Amino acid sequence: MTATLDMDRRQLEEVTADLLGHYSGLDHLRARLDAGEAHSPQLWKRFAETGLVSALVEEERGGAGLTPQHLPGVLHAMGYHAVPEPFLETAVLGATVLGAFPDHPESSARLEALAEGELIVGIRSSHLDPYVAFGANADLVLDVTSEGRVTVYRPEELDIEELNAVDPLRPVTRVTPRGSGEVLGTSSETATLVSTLAVAGAACQLAGAARRLVDLTVEYVNVRHQFGRPVGSFQAVKHKIADVAVGVDMAEAAAASALGDLDQEGAARRAAVAKAYAGQAADHANVEALQLHGGTGFTWEYHLHFWLKRVMSLSAAYGTTTTHRRALAQSLLTHMSKEDRG
Amino acid sequence: MMTTKTTEGFDTPVEEFRAEVRQWLSENVPAERLRPWTTKEGFDQHRRWERTLFQGGYAAVDWPVEYGGRGAGLRHTITFAEEYYRARAPERVNMGGLYLLGPVLMQYGTEEQRRRWIPDLLSCSTIWCQGFSEPGAGSDLGSLRTRADRDGDHYVVNGQKIWTSMGGFADWIFALVRTDPEAAKKRKHAGISFLCIDLRSPGVEVRPLTMVDGTQGFAEVFFTDVRVPVENVVGEVGQGWQVAMSTLGFERGAVFGDHAKFSNDVAALAGLVHHRGFADDTLALDELGRVLVSTEVYRANVYRLAALAEAGGDLDRTASINKLYWTEMQHDIFATGLRLMAEEGAIVGDTSAIDENDPLTARAWQEWHHRYWYSRGAMIFGGTSEIQRNIISERVLGLPKEPRPS
Repeated sequence: MTATLDMDRRQLEEVTADLLGHYSGLDHLRARLDAGEAHSPQLWKRFAETGLVSALVEEERGGAGLTPQHLPGVLHAMGYHAVPEPFLETAVLGATVLGAFPDHPESSARLEALAEGELIVGIRSSHLDPYVAFGANADLVLDVTSEGRVTVYRPEELDIEELNAVDPLRPVTRVTPRGSGEVLGTSSETATLVSTLAVAGAACQLAGAARRLVDLTVEYVNVRHQFGRPVGSFQAVKHKIADVAVGVDMAEAAAASALGDLDQEGAARRAAVAKAYAGQAADHANVEALQLHGGTGFTWEYHLHFWLKRVMSLSAAYGTTTTHRRALAQSLLTHMSKEDRG
Repeated sequence: MMTTKTTEGFDTPVEEFRAEVRQWLSENVPAERLRPWTTKEGFDQHRRWERTLFQGGYAAVDWPVEYGGRGAGLRHTITFAEEYYRARAPERVNMGGLYLLGPVLMQYGTEEQRRRWIPDLLSCSTIWCQGFSEPGAGSDLGSLRTRADRDGDHYVVNGQKIWTSMGGFADWIFALVRTDPEAAKKRKHAGISFLCIDLRSPGVEVRPLTMVDGTQGFAEVFFTDVRVPVENVVGEVGQGWQVAMSTLGFERGAVFGDHAKFSNDVAALAGLVHHRGFADDTLALDELGRVLVSTEVYRANVYRLAALAEAGGDLDRTASINKLYWTEMQHDIFATGLRLMAEEGAIVGDTSAIDENDPLTARAWQEWHHRYWYSRGAMIFGGTSEIQRNIISERVLGLPKEPRPS
């Protein structure tokens, strides 16, 4: 890791924390929930103005010209704040796919619109995930097949069915093309990169959301008293939180390396490892966080459920823990039977 | 294998160093598997191997040059360990000396103590063991009662240590003893000193304990009026608790490069899945996948901690998290292997179900039950998992302390 990359990361993380702290706090989440609409064009505009949306867009197209390696902390923060926006899908995956076909006549215009915050992108990658996150908000849906064929659909060419998502602030849709769309091209490298980024990016967000569950729970058990003492002083409670915290800490390490070391060999494997583990750690955090909050955590009024549902939604997205585990195990067995095992 | 900071003068590029280490190991690692170190014969073989390593300059690559190390930085240290496990070189048998006492001497020892003990420790001429636990002082280590009473320029030691790993094979012990029993009345961690004792001294009796799997590995050590020169105290007299806590930090913290050992274990686990005919069984794949993922996550953590250490960060907060994680992961590896082997999991070391063209898996399976029991021990030694959870919840997460019984 270079010193510049490290510094850029820290700067980006500060900007993101500041922005999300101000504009995507509990009030915002509650307002979006009440409005029945996760995406907020105003918040997205702020993301664009800060330069977050255009992080991966080349400088000559109005972007910041950064790399995905800059973004582990940003994505972690998106999970930590349960941000109800398609940041991963648009700013990371959308920008990457559109940027991979620079010769296309509309490439520049689309990237510039994306950088301005005027283009929301949905990603349809059926081999990875049957649903499209924020599909109903998308101005364009990019379909990426496992072979790497990329097709662009405008909303009028699609049937978009809004589903009853477990996390209302991460809406998912079922998207079925009606027309043939427009094929941008075929690039297996792009397909691999997009799926690695989706998987690693989801792992970073999951780790962030799970970290929030730990923080909320630590805060709660410090405040809540029973039997004349904070419930957090009971060993049964402490040990549960310690186990969750170990998992989340390790998930953060794996997720940060999955995205942060993207340019090194084995990136797709690291992403799968990170997503599998982050899903496992976040599921554990989900269970214990609610358990240790007792009745309070079970209410609509209290805010714990934003993160309970976010980790459920992200655990299921872009390949579950089980999907990734099995694929990794199969790949190890195949690799070994090819080698001389002697 | 990290212990101290890099010293000047080690500037071989990592890949060049990797090639050099790989070459040396390929020429020196014994072709024949050594006998288990839990036997006298095996222990001597391992000791000879340590001497070979020392002569090759690889006993402790991360140690400063002035103490006989290579002054290698973390990247090189990790690289060395990766190659060491890749070559499936023998287990190291002077862990207590290399990882615990060595660093303590560098941090707290006098120049004289370093000169006296470090070279023999490094060449494995002296095997060291750790004397912390006592029958009445395990998790509550601060209640230890072994006392050392001053008599002229000696201490007279009386008491008992227990669960002493390698105790039956060791030459010296570094022990926690009460040099000021009065101080404990005010604060139980006060008045303790860190004392090095020659196990051949009159009045020392080492009784080997047979472990749960029938092998020899630890011991009880009894001290009856054992005379120990006062200059064998490491650190300030009465400050032994602080010195000991730093060795526990070394013991619990990242052993940089260890992930490569666990990758070998996962490869063996995959071999077991294969030979048991479970390669298409989704439940077996889930188990293998879970373990594979946890070891890869551990690798990511090792590199993260290395980066943190290089940036001058504080690794103390990470030690308990690291220990709890790797010990549970290690247990999961071996318990999963036993489960996957199903009925054959109840038979120790029978390799008849494993294809003879797969010697690595066969060899791993021969040692599987022993490693399994070791993994159970690892969740107890160096501070039990429960103690680690207390530390994580109180010192890392800031949860309130449990009220102490008055």
